[in-house]
Parts: sequence; C-alpha cells; structure tokens
Amino acid sequence: MTLAEPAIPSGIPDADAVIRVRDLQKRYGDVQAVAGIDFEVGRGEVFGLLGPNGAGKSTTIEILEGLRTQDAGEATVLGLDVRHQASTLKERIGVQLQTAALYPRLTVREVLELFASFYASSVPPDQLIEALDLGERRNAQTRQLSGGQRQRLSVALALVNDPELVFLDEPTTGMDPAARRSLWELVRGLRAKGRTVLLTTHYMEEAEELCDRLAIMDHGKILEIGTVDQLVGRRFTERTVRYERLPGIDDATLAAFPGVTRVAHEDDEATLLYTHDVAGTIGALLGAAEALGVEPRGLGIRSPSLEDVFLALTGHAIRD
Amino acid sequence: MHTLLRLTSANLKSFTRDRAAMFWTLAFPLVFILLFGAIFSGGTSRFTVAWVDGDGSPSSTALLSNPALANVLTLKTYQTADDAIAAMKQGDVRAVLVIPKGFGSAIASAGAVGGAALPLTVYTDPSNQQVSGTITGIVASLVGGFNQAASGRPPILALQTQTVQSEAITAVAYLVPSILAMALMQLGLFSAIPIVEQRESLILKRIAATPIKRRTFIAANVITRLLVGLIQAVVILAVAQVVFGITLLGNPFVFAGIVVLGALAFIALGYVVASFAPTEDSASQMVSILQFPLMFLSGIFFALESLPQVLRTVAAFMPLTYLGDALRQVMVGGTPFVPLGVGVGILAAWLVGCFLISARFFRWQ
Repeated sequence: MTLAEPAIPSGIPDADAVIRVRDLQKRYGDVQAVAGIDFEVGRGEVFGLLGPNGAGKSTTIEILEGLRTQDAGEATVLGLDVRHQASTLKERIGVQLQTAALYPRLTVREVLELFASFYASSVPPDQLIEALDLGERRNAQTRQLSGGQRQRLSVALALVNDPELVFLDEPTTGMDPAARRSLWELVRGLRAKGRTVLLTTHYMEEAEELCDRLAIMDHGKILEIGTVDQLVGRRFTERTVRYERLPGIDDATLAAFPGVTRVAHEDDEATLLYTHDVAGTIGALLGAAEALGVEPRGLGIRSPSLEDVFLALTGHAIRD
Repeated sequence: MHTLLRLTSANLKSFTRDRAAMFWTLAFPLVFILLFGAIFSGGTSRFTVAWVDGDGSPSSTALLSNPALANVLTLKTYQTADDAIAAMKQGDVRAVLVIPKGFGSAIASAGAVGGAALPLTVYTDPSNQQVSGTITGIVASLVGGFNQAASGRPPILALQTQTVQSEAITAVAYLVPSILAMALMQLGLFSAIPIVEQRESLILKRIAATPIKRRTFIAANVITRLLVGLIQAVVILAVAQVVFGITLLGNPFVFAGIVVLGALAFIALGYVVASFAPTEDSASQMVSILQFPLMFLSGIFFALESLPQVLRTVAAFMPLTYLGDALRQVMVGGTPFVPLGVGVGILAAWLVGCFLISARFFRWQ
C-alpha cells in the first residue's frame, strides 16, 4: 500500500479534557499492544477508536477503565490518574465490555439492582429497562436472552451509575438494525446531556453516524485523529471508481488512466481507482477491458468515505 | 455491608436456581447416608445387655428368665459393674443393668423395709438414642410392673439411669460425620468451578470495573458457600436423628465451628484449584482428580486403626481425615485419631496455607 504520512493531531479540545493520554505503552510478552499513543477527549464528545482486531483498542480502553496498568506513559481520566486513583474513577465511569458477561441465573432486573448496589448513587433499574427496551424481558433470566438483548443489558449496566464518561466496546455487535439505531439514539441522548462517550466499533457507518471525532489505530499506534470530514478531506479530494478485479490489467496501466492518482485493492477482490476525472477513467477502463475481451463487473462510483481512509491507512478492510 | 448482602443474595439465588448444583450438594449426601445406613444397620433389633447381679438372691436370678426382659433383650452376665461398663465401652454390650443388693428381700417384704425405693441402675450410651431409649423403656416397664404389684404401698424400685460413653460406635454413627465431612469437602472443592466460569465469561473483569472491592466479592462467594455448608450439616444431622436415632452428643457451637473451619479449609483448597485452572473444564478435571484420593485415602469411611500402616501414614496427610475425626468426636464420640485441638490446628493450617497460595496466584483475568 501507499501512503505513510505522519499522524496529524487534530481538534485537540480545551484544557479540561475528560481523557488525556500521553505516550501510553503496554506490552504483553513479545507483543507491543500499545506503542506510545497520545490523544485527548473533551467533555461532551463522542470519540471513536477504530482499528482491526489486535490494533490495541481494547487494551487502551482497559487501561483507561483502570482494569490494566500501563508500562509507561500517562493517562488521566476525569482528572484522575488511572494508575493511582482507579477506585475513585470507577465510581464515575460506565463500562461495557466486549463480551457481555452476566450472572446467567439472575433476571434482568436483579442484575441491574445488583450492579446499582455497587455504586454510591444509581439510576432506578426500571428507568434503564425502559431506555434499553428490555421491558418485556425484565423478569427473564439473563441466560434466556438473545444476543442482542444481552448486549442491550450490558449497555444498561454501563449506565447504572449515571456516569460522566461511558466506555462502549463494540456496543452494537450482535444487534439487529433496529436495535442498533435505537442505541445510536441513546448515545446521542447521552451527548445531549453533556456526557462523554468513548466507543470502539467495527462498523464504519456507526463511526460516521455517531462520532464527533475518531482515532484510527493499527499495531498499537494511532495513525490519524480527526472528525470524519477531516480524515476524509485530508486524504482524498478524488472520487473512487470501484470494480471487481480484472487480473489482465496491471497497476501501472491503471495508474496511467486519465485523472487517476492512486490504485488500491480491497482484499484481492476489488480494485479502487482514486481519480479527479471519473468519466476519463471509466472510458479508459472500458477500453482496456474490451481489448482483453472482458467487461468490468460491479462497476461503481462513490465519494470517498471513512472506509477508504481506513483502507489507505491500514492496508486492509476493517473486518479482516 | 449492603453490597456484601446483595452479592451474597445474588449468589444464593443463582445457587437455588441451579438444580444440578442443588442435587449434588443436598440430595446426594442424603442418598449416600440412607443407602449406607440401610446396609450397615440391618438386623439388629435385639440388643445385648450386660447383667450384673449385685444381690444373688433367688428373686434376682429369676429376673434372668423374666419374659419382660428375656424375650426382648439378650442378657450377658458380668461379675461386677466395672467389668460390665468396661465391656460396654468396648462395644461388646449396648447397655448395663445392675440389680442392687437387697433386691430379693425388698420383693419379699414388698416395700416394708425402710420405705425408701431401691435404685435399679441402667447405664446407656446417649449418642445412640434409638438404642438407649429402647433399653431404658424395657427396664422402666419392668420396674413399673414390680411397683404395681405392690400397689397401695410405697414403690419398691426406682429406675436410675446413668450414661456411659461407648468408645465403639456403630457403623452408621461412624458414617454420618464422614458423609458430612465428604459433603463439606465437595462443597469447598467445587467452589473452584463457578469462580473459574465467572473469570472465563468475564464476569470477574466486569466486576473489577466497578468500585466494589475484590475482597468484598470473594467474601460474598465464601459466605454463600458457608451458608450452604451449614444447611448441609443441619439436613444431614436431621436425617441421622430421624432415621437412625443418632444425635449430636457434644456442644452444638463447637460442632458448628468445626463445620465452618472444615468448609473454609476446603473452599481455600478450591480457590487454589481456581488459581491454577485456566478454564472451567480444566477446573472440573482438577477437582475430580483431587477429590477421589482426598476422599478414599483419608480413612473417613474406615476406622483408621484397621488400615495397613502405609495407608495410615497417607491418611495422616489428608485434611479430610482430620475434619471427619473432629466432627466424629464432637458428634458421636468414639476413639479419636488425634485430640480435637490437634485436628482443629491441622485444619486451620490447611486453611492458612491454601489461603496464602491462592492469594498469591489467583488471577482476575
């Protein structure tokens, strides 16, 4: 892949950052899970961490939640040092873990009541049951819930102490589209109340819909930070021509098409041509294909999206 | 405190809703007791009683063939009360009946002598109420018969009961504390499995992300197990009493203390397993592998003095040996393997050792 521009810090908020991370590092044996990252999240922001599996997102989040201790670097959350003031911190944050883990033989309501008892102040369980649309399942044991319902309960548990800052680790995984949209509404509602949300996600659409700013991570490093528009606009002024890969045309030929600035491949299945001249590029492509006696399939044109930024930065699509 | 109660109640709810767990902890030991009790207690409806004739008169000799005694008891003659009591302690006889001097003349004069009733003494073992009750009842009806025959005048005889702690105990009496010890061991060892399951399914991680203290969470789990252990003890004692007439002989608080200590020692051993088992499956396997030698090399099911020297030595290293021994001493008596204080000390040492190991190696994620 092309492009290895240095990460450009962007839109760093004012001094009362809710999360402030400086040169954070964490190693497991031979694996440098987090390799010196810096970022800040401002009050009331919805901030996204995007990256493939193993990028270091979960390790970063778990250090900020006080579940792991960094090897080096500073991390303050709500003005508290995560290493030394974790127990004070835990009172004020909400945590949703990637794997929803619950007491299998307690009911939805009982689990919420139990977790509410862990905090000095808490939201009435029934209010959360309504907010997460679990009313019909309030007396069901958690082992009887569907994957999406379990996910909703684990989000409800993250909100049980009415936290100032909520960590959501892939919150919509396993949810159907309707539940996903209603969770998005919930996150927007949190932002409207001035709460801060740090989320990780595999869904580009979710990041584009929800995140005020986001950071793209890979191999323990932050590759780029900014708003969706900044990330896209900084990298692409072109539009993208996409088609199913034709092995007979090599990259050098493609790069010489009118207007093409860059050629990329998505998982060896599709070719992406970034171009300033869509009509000229498609004309040249059809001509080259005809010379080979084939026709490009799945031909389409789109404006660059977060997906393109991600692909350009990490060299692969996010679900790899 | 509020959190501790909430967590404990959540654990108890989870436990009572888990039918398999309920069966293994409550029903299984009972099935065991009833089954083995039925095997060991069959065909002993006629008891052997020592007969000491302190009078030697024709009237007292005639009692030997009195149908009220001879038809229901097997009488075995001893020369002195001391000999008879020694025989009872060794388990040769179930009770001792002493006919007082002056019995013959008292019958002959029908209460005219002095007026005070003559004491007829029965020695019984209070640890087996079924046996002692039956024998006392038989002798009481005999005494009542003589007194009625002398109706209108002062009673001739007075039944006097004495207790003798028999050192030889019945197979069932031996077995009941053993089964309680076994149940407590399983309760403790099996505490490894839910905690490893909670670690595997990230419940522990989720709990670690809340402000509650880890020790509160562990304390709630241990308290839950202890409560279940005490319930097991009560159920097993109740069945032993109702079905086999075996009562708790010693101080119930001492007994409860030993139950708690034993349960804690094995819960700590369960946490040692949980410290080293990476998955729920491996925890189950480790528990299964551990529990059989712990159980069958401990001698809780056989009197230790009947074992070969090698096995006795092995048994001396098994914590269950001391739990079974301590429970047995307080519950039914019998020959102690070690004095109660020593047994309690060894269990406490196991508890502290296992606690330190698991405090060092237990992982939350």
